[in-house]
Amino acid sequence: MSRPAPTPIYTLRGAGGPLNTLHFSCHGGDTPLLYSASGKGAIHIWNLNTRRAERIVEGHSGNSIIWVSTLQAAHTLISQGRDMQVCLWDLSEGRSEVVDSVWTGSVGFCQCSVLETSPGNQLLAFAGQQTEEIKIIELPSKTPVCTLVPDAKVGMVMCIKLWQPDSGPGPLLLAGYEDGSLLLWDVTQRSELSRAKAHPEPVMCLTFDPERLRGISGSSEKTLSSWILDRQNNLQLQDDVTLVNAGVSQLCIRGDGKLLASAGWDHRVRVFGWKKLKPLAVLQYHTDMMLSVAFSDHQDPRQRLLAAGSKDQRVSLWSIYNEGADTG
Amino acid sequence: MPPTMAQISDPKIAFAYLRPACVLLTREPTVTNVDTLSSQLKEVNDATLQQLQDYVLFPLRFVLKVPGPKKDKLVQAVAEAISYVLENTCVQSWETLHDLLSELCLCLCSPTDLGKPADTSEELQSAVLRCLTALLHAAYGDIVFKLFEPIMLPGLGATVSLLLALAEKTKSRDIQVSALKCLQALTLQCDCDQDHVVPTSEERCLVGSIVASFLPGITVTVARIITGDLRQGHGVTVRAIKVWSRTVGLVLDDAQLQDAESNKTPSTELGRIGQLVVHRTKDWVKNTAVKLCVLLKKIIACTSAHQHWRVRLEMVELDDHLLDRCSQSLKQCVGPLLEALVGAVNDEEPRVRERCEVTLRAVSQRNQSCSSRGDKSSTAQTFTDVLSENLHSLATSLPRLMRTSDDQKKLFVLNVFLGYIKLLGPLVSVVLNSAAHLERISKALMQVLDLDVMDVRIVEERSYAATIETTPGSADSCFARTQRKHFLYFTDEKIFSVLMEICRTLGYYGNLYLLTDHFLDLYQQSSSYRKQAAMVLNEIVRGAAAIDVVTEGQSLTGQVRGHSVNQEDLTAAVASVMEEYISLKNWHLITVSEETERDRQDQQLLSPSRLLSISNSDFSNSDSNCLQVISSKINSPCTSTSTSTIHQLNSNIWQLCIQLEGIACFAQTLGRDFRPLLMTSLYPVLEKAGEETLLVSQAALGSMWDLSRACGYSSLKELINENSDYLLNDISLNLQRLSQHPQAPRVLTVMLTHSDCSLLPLVGDIVQDVLMALDLSYDHTAALFCSVLHALMKALARWFPSSCGRTTESAQSKKSSGHEEVFDIRQFILDYSKQKELAEGIGIEEDASVEDLEAPAPTECEEDAEDIYGPDVKPELPPHLSITKDVMERCIHLLSDPSLRVRLKVLDVLELCVCVLSEKENELLPMAHRCWPPLLQRLTADDPLAVLRAFRVLCTLGDTCGDFLRRRVSKEVLPKLSSSLTRQAPISAKAGPVYTHTLAYKLQLAVLQGLGSLCQRLDLGEADLDAVREACLPYLSSRQPIRVQEASVSVFRHLIQVDPDALWFTLNELHCPTSYVPPHPDLQPVQLSGMGRPRDEYSDNVLKLLQEEFGSVAEAVDQPGLANEPVIDVTD
Repeated sequence: MSRPAPTPIYTLRGAGGPLNTLHFSCHGGDTPLLYSASGKGAIHIWNLNTRRAERIVEGHSGNSIIWVSTLQAAHTLISQGRDMQVCLWDLSEGRSEVVDSVWTGSVGFCQCSVLETSPGNQLLAFAGQQTEEIKIIELPSKTPVCTLVPDAKVGMVMCIKLWQPDSGPGPLLLAGYEDGSLLLWDVTQRSELSRAKAHPEPVMCLTFDPERLRGISGSSEKTLSSWILDRQNNLQLQDDVTLVNAGVSQLCIRGDGKLLASAGWDHRVRVFGWKKLKPLAVLQYHTDMMLSVAFSDHQDPRQRLLAAGSKDQRVSLWSIYNEGADTG
Repeated sequence: MPPTMAQISDPKIAFAYLRPACVLLTREPTVTNVDTLSSQLKEVNDATLQQLQDYVLFPLRFVLKVPGPKKDKLVQAVAEAISYVLENTCVQSWETLHDLLSELCLCLCSPTDLGKPADTSEELQSAVLRCLTALLHAAYGDIVFKLFEPIMLPGLGATVSLLLALAEKTKSRDIQVSALKCLQALTLQCDCDQDHVVPTSEERCLVGSIVASFLPGITVTVARIITGDLRQGHGVTVRAIKVWSRTVGLVLDDAQLQDAESNKTPSTELGRIGQLVVHRTKDWVKNTAVKLCVLLKKIIACTSAHQHWRVRLEMVELDDHLLDRCSQSLKQCVGPLLEALVGAVNDEEPRVRERCEVTLRAVSQRNQSCSSRGDKSSTAQTFTDVLSENLHSLATSLPRLMRTSDDQKKLFVLNVFLGYIKLLGPLVSVVLNSAAHLERISKALMQVLDLDVMDVRIVEERSYAATIETTPGSADSCFARTQRKHFLYFTDEKIFSVLMEICRTLGYYGNLYLLTDHFLDLYQQSSSYRKQAAMVLNEIVRGAAAIDVVTEGQSLTGQVRGHSVNQEDLTAAVASVMEEYISLKNWHLITVSEETERDRQDQQLLSPSRLLSISNSDFSNSDSNCLQVISSKINSPCTSTSTSTIHQLNSNIWQLCIQLEGIACFAQTLGRDFRPLLMTSLYPVLEKAGEETLLVSQAALGSMWDLSRACGYSSLKELINENSDYLLNDISLNLQRLSQHPQAPRVLTVMLTHSDCSLLPLVGDIVQDVLMALDLSYDHTAALFCSVLHALMKALARWFPSSCGRTTESAQSKKSSGHEEVFDIRQFILDYSKQKELAEGIGIEEDASVEDLEAPAPTECEEDAEDIYGPDVKPELPPHLSITKDVMERCIHLLSDPSLRVRLKVLDVLELCVCVLSEKENELLPMAHRCWPPLLQRLTADDPLAVLRAFRVLCTLGDTCGDFLRRRVSKEVLPKLSSSLTRQAPISAKAGPVYTHTLAYKLQLAVLQGLGSLCQRLDLGEADLDAVREACLPYLSSRQPIRVQEASVSVFRHLIQVDPDALWFTLNELHCPTSYVPPHPDLQPVQLSGMGRPRDEYSDNVLKLLQEEFGSVAEAVDQPGLANEPVIDVTD
């Protein structure tokens, strides 16, 4: 029996702009929250119980916001705007004020990556002023840690991912560049560990599963390319997945490492099994290009939603492949 | 007795004073003498009277003792006199007491049988009874007990049976009551306010053992009185119950019986009388108790549901008294007594309830103290055990009782059931934990709550958008009519409310999860239980939240509700029940049979009252017209559907109503905490509010009000506006899956109806979805979407009232001013001559230049306005206008839809679009231009109904862009119409009655009905008006079908508004009823071609028009304006 096409369990409206990025925060507090940032400089904090915007924070002087995240405590929000600023917000007790900001100097669309090194301390990686440069600083002290510039010409930094390997001493950084190559950097050594040419076109997005040491990247063409890191920290390309329509804005792996979702330029979200990259579902609802996907980090697996933000100013929430839950 | 007169206090003086009267009375026993004595008695004070008691009583008793028949009056007077004496003195001697008692009894009884009352007057009986009561009260404590010696048995027996006979057989209530009172006094159980002898326990025992002999007689007879005539006054019944309970309480007193056993005295010296003495042995008690139990059950059955509360109160007293005194001796009766008591816990009369509660508490305390003493007898079990046992057994027999008994019995049983639940309080959940019993209880509830689904009207009644829309603001009208539920197995509304209270109380005390689970199971199990289970669930949830539960202090166990249901559990329960309610299979039930649906549409389209609507061209009236259609519709009989499906539909309708009520209940229980649940529940409710079935939509509307109140919104509008995001989410989603969710447009319709323009930004988003969905499936869903578009445009027209209809107003003002203006002949002639000069070409240039100057002015203004935004950049349209434009765009396509229904709807939508868009002429004109070709088709070559609507659209268009339209109408529409009218006129004039069923006729009629208002609205030129007039004139003929004539008359009425003079002339040319005599001989006489013509086919309608529109024909002569008309004629 073929099941009817899944529909979103809810659609969040009223963001008033394209939804560049989404971030779930379901751990702290009792109400699960979803942060969305719009192209018009507004961060909406959606209460997932009432499904309404609990608060709307305006920042970056109306410039498009391309990335939001929360630092360990849900009350600290970090956002990156096209005004070349990364802002830290204090949202506790109804406040919404910028407590600190970092000037990046980057004019690109590369989203930051943040890694918690110890409680209260984080590393923040962002694209720098020079086209190929990646800067890493320590928060909250804002001490520069290092600047990573590749030897060869690889073009602009498109996407970065910072993570702490179980074995190695220091954090590693994956970066995708304009010419389609992926570079693995050792942050403490400030050295390039390996590189691979994953795409002929610029790498639009990448995501990495530190448990399986496996990642996947998307580009403006029709293929998703997956790769692994071997013991020597060498990037090795693996299978490609060919899509029907070209262009992927964002990739996201679910916390349990079972699902991968892609935000396509073809207005659709595609869901794959992460293990074998088997295509599972195409989520069709939006009427414009998808810009972002995110999986909820809710403790109850049945409430782990998938959120997808689109240029059509809506966020759709989906309840898929979370056993026992209402698929709506 | 005048209070000023001092009473005689000296015995000697008193004696001297009374003596003559006494002597006289002894000698001559007459009424007068008795009266004299009794009036004198009143002047002697009590103490003195006591001394002279025997002396005074002697002549009176002598009168009674004189052998031979006596007059009733005399006896009565004597009895009254004795009563007075006895009431104010004491009887100290046994002889007096004994003799008086027997003498008085003799007055009452028939000479042949001492136990039967004689056939005497009621006054006499009443007087003697009063006297007897007084005697018994006057008797001293030391002598009164002599009455209860075995030796007295025969005499006492006679008195008792005499009193019983009086109490039973007499018609007069007073006598019945006083006989019963007397009996009470006789057994020393009187409860009046006077002082009574307080017997010691031994004396009580004595009395008890003697009265035991009369017990059968008293109990049987009194029980007969109680259960006897229902119409007898409650006073008698109350008194009788009292006598019964006191007597039984006296004889079967537990305390006495214990003593009696110990000192049983064999009486041998009594001889035959000894046989009469009853020994209250164990066996006797046992046998008596069995018999009494039968009587008691009868009494309870008869009185527990008695209409008068005093009777019920007395029953509670009886229960109390007997449970207090005789719980040992009347063991068998404890069950029925308790049951009666429990049944009274829910009495509607608070005094009964209170008394009952006090009693129950006393009973439970007694039992507790009993059990704490460790008695081994069966009463040692605690009261609650008895109650739960009773509840168990009642639950077992409940289904049977519900099936078999009548309403009254059911009410009583249910009341008892409720009583047990209330008394047991939290312990109820223990009973409910037994699956068997829960099963029984629920079965009984399911059985008794079975709904009657025979009523066909429920299926037939339809609601229309129009009816809903007219009442968005007024809450009252929504509640004016909530349909009463009809049940198969009972009719009494009280039963229903008790049942609901049972459910609530179960919910209050029981385990919410267990109950909801169980009843949800039943709900899912079988469709035949679904409605009942839903009703029960609704009330259980309400009860769990302690809504409408009266329990204060009724729980006997002394515990308050052990667990209070917390909000979280309640929310969880509500959510699960509601989820079941609104699940697809339980919510999307068919309530309209396909067949009737189609019938209805056809009927609606062909309904004649629809045709009337065009004559009210003012579109604000369209609502009322719709209502007309409805009323004509509802009455139409439905014949085609089979009854079984009607039952099914009916049952579906009820199920939906109950579920809607349920949602309202849940909202009520959760209050503001229900708000998150609106996410899932509001959409389904709105879906049903848009339902066609009247009952369902009303129920849904009712629940919407409840929801808004429960969630703290002040109005439906607020409810919808605040939650529009939830609603729109579902709507937008479901619009994409229309095949599964065809109701989505309906929800949007309801939303729009009840909301205001603050909704617009969100709606704008959705409208795009709607239009996209429409674009994707024109053929299937056009009809559905038309109603959405219609609702949308209606809402927009309401939210943004435009200047539509201003020309109508100005036209009307013009018309009225024309009438009021004082006609100035001089000015008229001057104007006329100027007109004539103009016509001849004099000064035409001058005039034209003026017009040229005037004309461009407005266009210049508009250009200026555009210049502000620059020539290229168009200012962004306000959202409502851009929506309207989008909708109008779709209308252009849909105007030529093959379905007539869709075309009609689209024409309505179009009219509203024009209205809304009228504020922006720049936008309207291009759209109107694009609409024109299909609209022209509707006007000239479509179904008559469509023609009519198209006319209406045209009129509205004419209001807003008259100039634009005038040329087109006069060029493209009028020639076609008038030529077809002219062509058709001779045919219809000659046609027979069958003609009215042809399409040609309907078309003719439609055109004629619309033409008048069109001409008036468009302000057409003279030539066009002439053409219309020419075309319509033949239809004034009386040979035409009558409705065509009427329509044609209506055209003329409109034309007269535009150009009265020309029309007056035309009409008079046809037929002129009066001759006009010039006011001055110099003026030429008026010559009209209609003058002096014999009555012909046109006369009637012409006369009618002349009379209605130009005032009465006779007066016409005096009117200067009309008198001047001939001048034109003359100059011609």
